[in-house]
Amino acid sequence: MLLERRLPNRLEHVNAFIKEALDHFGRLSLPQEDVFPIKLALEEALTNAMRHGNRLDPGLFVDVSVVLEGQRLVMKVKDEGAGFDFSKIPDPTQQDNKEKPNGRGVFLIKQLMNEVEFFDGGRGIKMIKFLECA
Amino acid sequence: MSLQVKIEEREPGVYVVSPDGEVNTDTYLELENKVKGILGKAQALIFELKDMTYISSLGLSVFFRVKAALSEKGAKFLWVHPQPQIQKVFDVMKVLPDAMVASLEEADEYLDSFLDGVQRGEIDPKTPHDQGA
Repeated sequence: MLLERRLPNRLEHVNAFIKEALDHFGRLSLPQEDVFPIKLALEEALTNAMRHGNRLDPGLFVDVSVVLEGQRLVMKVKDEGAGFDFSKIPDPTQQDNKEKPNGRGVFLIKQLMNEVEFFDGGRGIKMIKFLECA
Repeated sequence: MSLQVKIEEREPGVYVVSPDGEVNTDTYLELENKVKGILGKAQALIFELKDMTYISSLGLSVFFRVKAALSEKGAKFLWVHPQPQIQKVFDVMKVLPDAMVASLEEADEYLDSFLDGVQRGEIDPKTPHDQGA
């Protein structure tokens, strides 16, 4: 286990956690081409959990973990909201959806990570990145 | 993880916006608020991205909102010099590919031609063209 935290549902905690995670990644000597997508996927998942999952309710929490399993970095983010049907997220690159603000975060995560799955009725997201070196 | 935003009026109505740092959950409103201050008088905005090291989807939303506001009034939106990791995000998200130009000089040439055409009544600024968004 690299990191496991229960974050209060306030957006200022997103980048504070990411900074802590980056410090850990620095110790792993991850190449920059790996760090950028990992950082971006973490920010998107945490921001989605707080804004859309927990609907910015300051009384709720987001659980996040980052685990190194051999050459795979496994990241899980879980909110306390009502969950959502991830199959209904619009493709933000389609012309009709380009002006819509929702869907960009999940789309980016899917593009940047090697494996993505949702669990617990859409309250949680598991993201896996295969590392160049670990 | 901070962001500095420099705005320079390159010629009357043409502004160069230069974000320096990360456009993320903490900083995207800083960029948006700075740009909002010039939207009313801008005929064109050029985003100089050479010093922007990171962008999240909230940052991308700023670009989309600015582009929409400019399009509504027939003004132009261009961007230059994205770092490779930013270019990759833009490519993945298909962010305004027709708004990218190779250099500020190319942006100047395009905008000079565009604004001349508008002044002569040969170009309707609200009609999409083959470059710029």
